[in-house]
Amino acid sequence: MTYGEKHIGGTLLKVDNITLAFGGVKALTDISFEIREHEILAIIGPNGAGKTSMLNVINGFYHPQQGRIEFRGVERKAMRPHLAAKQGIARTFQNVALFKGMSTLDNIMTGRILKMKSNIFQQAIYWGANQREEIAHREVVEKIIDFLEIEAIRKTPVGRLPYGLQKRVELARALAMEPDLLLLDEPMAGMNVEEKEDMCRFVLDVNDEFGTTIALIEHDMGVVMDISDRVVVLDYGRKLADGPPAEVRANKDVIDAYLGVSH
Amino acid sequence: MNPTAMRFGLWVAFVPVLIAVIGLALQGLAMTDSALFFDWAFYLEVLVAGLLQGVLYSLVALGFVLIFKASGVFNFAQGSMVLFAALTMVGFIEMGLHWTLAFVVTAGVMVLVAIAVERVVLRPLVNQPHIILFMATIGIFYFLDGFGQMLWGSDVKMLEIGIPKQGLTILTDVFEYGIRINAFDLVAALVGAALVAVLAVFFQYTRVGRALRAVADDHQAALSVGIPLKTIWAIVWSVAGIVALVAGIMWGSKAGVQFSLALIALKALPVLILGGFTSIPGAIVGGLIIGAGEQVAEVFLGPLVGGAIQEWFAYMLALAFLLVRPQGLFGERIIERI
Repeated sequence: MTYGEKHIGGTLLKVDNITLAFGGVKALTDISFEIREHEILAIIGPNGAGKTSMLNVINGFYHPQQGRIEFRGVERKAMRPHLAAKQGIARTFQNVALFKGMSTLDNIMTGRILKMKSNIFQQAIYWGANQREEIAHREVVEKIIDFLEIEAIRKTPVGRLPYGLQKRVELARALAMEPDLLLLDEPMAGMNVEEKEDMCRFVLDVNDEFGTTIALIEHDMGVVMDISDRVVVLDYGRKLADGPPAEVRANKDVIDAYLGVSH
Repeated sequence: MNPTAMRFGLWVAFVPVLIAVIGLALQGLAMTDSALFFDWAFYLEVLVAGLLQGVLYSLVALGFVLIFKASGVFNFAQGSMVLFAALTMVGFIEMGLHWTLAFVVTAGVMVLVAIAVERVVLRPLVNQPHIILFMATIGIFYFLDGFGQMLWGSDVKMLEIGIPKQGLTILTDVFEYGIRINAFDLVAALVGAALVAVLAVFFQYTRVGRALRAVADDHQAALSVGIPLKTIWAIVWSVAGIVALVAGIMWGSKAGVQFSLALIALKALPVLILGGFTSIPGAIVGGLIIGAGEQVAEVFLGPLVGGAIQEWFAYMLALAFLLVRPQGLFGERIIERI
């Protein structure tokens, strides 16, 4: 592992026997795993395995019929997405969900909304304090912009950016929330090799410099094996394997799921 | 200074020139065609009457802009909200409340309506395409329309809150007979200006504006960064409801409270196309242009085609605008990546 001195801590988030169904279709069956502090956890599996559903459950978009989720050792009640955001869970989406008419800068600034203290009424009245706060947040955002090397597109409406850069802006917006847990849904999908390498570097740097815990979904096995500390494998809504990359790669069930098996 | 304010400033400087040019053009036309006539004092009088009428259009258009900014949806129900608010206000006055008290109570009712709309209609439709939300607002239109008349009856009612209505004569030393304006229109203009000032401070210059645009762009993403969608929606619909109340009072005192109030929403459409669906200053400027334009066209060009220009002038202007500048004067630029 490249970052040898990293200390993976205790459990940050634990999902326990999660079952999620849409009508008669079971998207997730009895899934349990944990995400540990400061680690990079990859969730992999064939298409339709339930990976994104899993992220949506953690993030509060979906509500599982059964099971428990513990975050920082406290059992979570039915969760709404903006409450999850408040607790320190940020995410990106599989099919980029940015505010397309807004500039890169404004998009990232939305990530600061929860960190802003004054409420809307104060914002309307207290010019001075309001402005100072805006400037302080702008500084944080500028650092993130430098970090992700997107200075040049600061003022560009994101709808005009190429896909690879949009993904980067989305990551920037999530980072602006200074999350404890960052969920990345296929951060490298649709990228060329160079863009993928950049993105890998950013993910590793975020994890290393800010100590952010990251759970990511990815299809590129090279990437997964390189950057993740642990891998969870899903298939048809069930968990197949859970462990360090090398171990998972050798797992017979996993190989069968990916290559198909003759019965 | 932000770019919108700069563009706004430029337009303000440009306005007297435009008025003079149009005046000269009309004067020229009047010289070539004996059916037309032109007189500067009369021109200004018509123009001012048109501008003041335009403020009333702007009041209605404002409600649309607010909801469009926060959900990207054209709220078809805005017109019936105007009617419902006016009916409720008249109802409370008839029950014996002083009009100020009736105003406060009606504003409360509009907030309740907003909360109900959010809970019953919008909440189950999070993350649905805009067209679905638009269909839902059509439903709200018919509901409010019927509900209001069910509660308060469908008679034409007068709304009298003591706004002066006599004519005033100004600029008597410049022109021989001066220029006559209606005091009521002047009051309406002041109310409109005050409302816009408050809304502009609230939405343009605070970060609420950013949250609103975020919500309008992508519900899911807005939620994921922690914007409480429901609160934002309830606030915006409440504000739109109160704006509808003010518009309802002004229109109601001018033309009586009746079903046709719900249809003035149709006049707000060209205003929005001109000003841009997302811009509060745009709604004002659009309203002024439509109001002044249709009055001037009616009076000075009407005889050419036998009159009744006022009925369609606004829509033709909007159509021409769509060809040249589809996002409106102050709207956000439309971005599409193919």
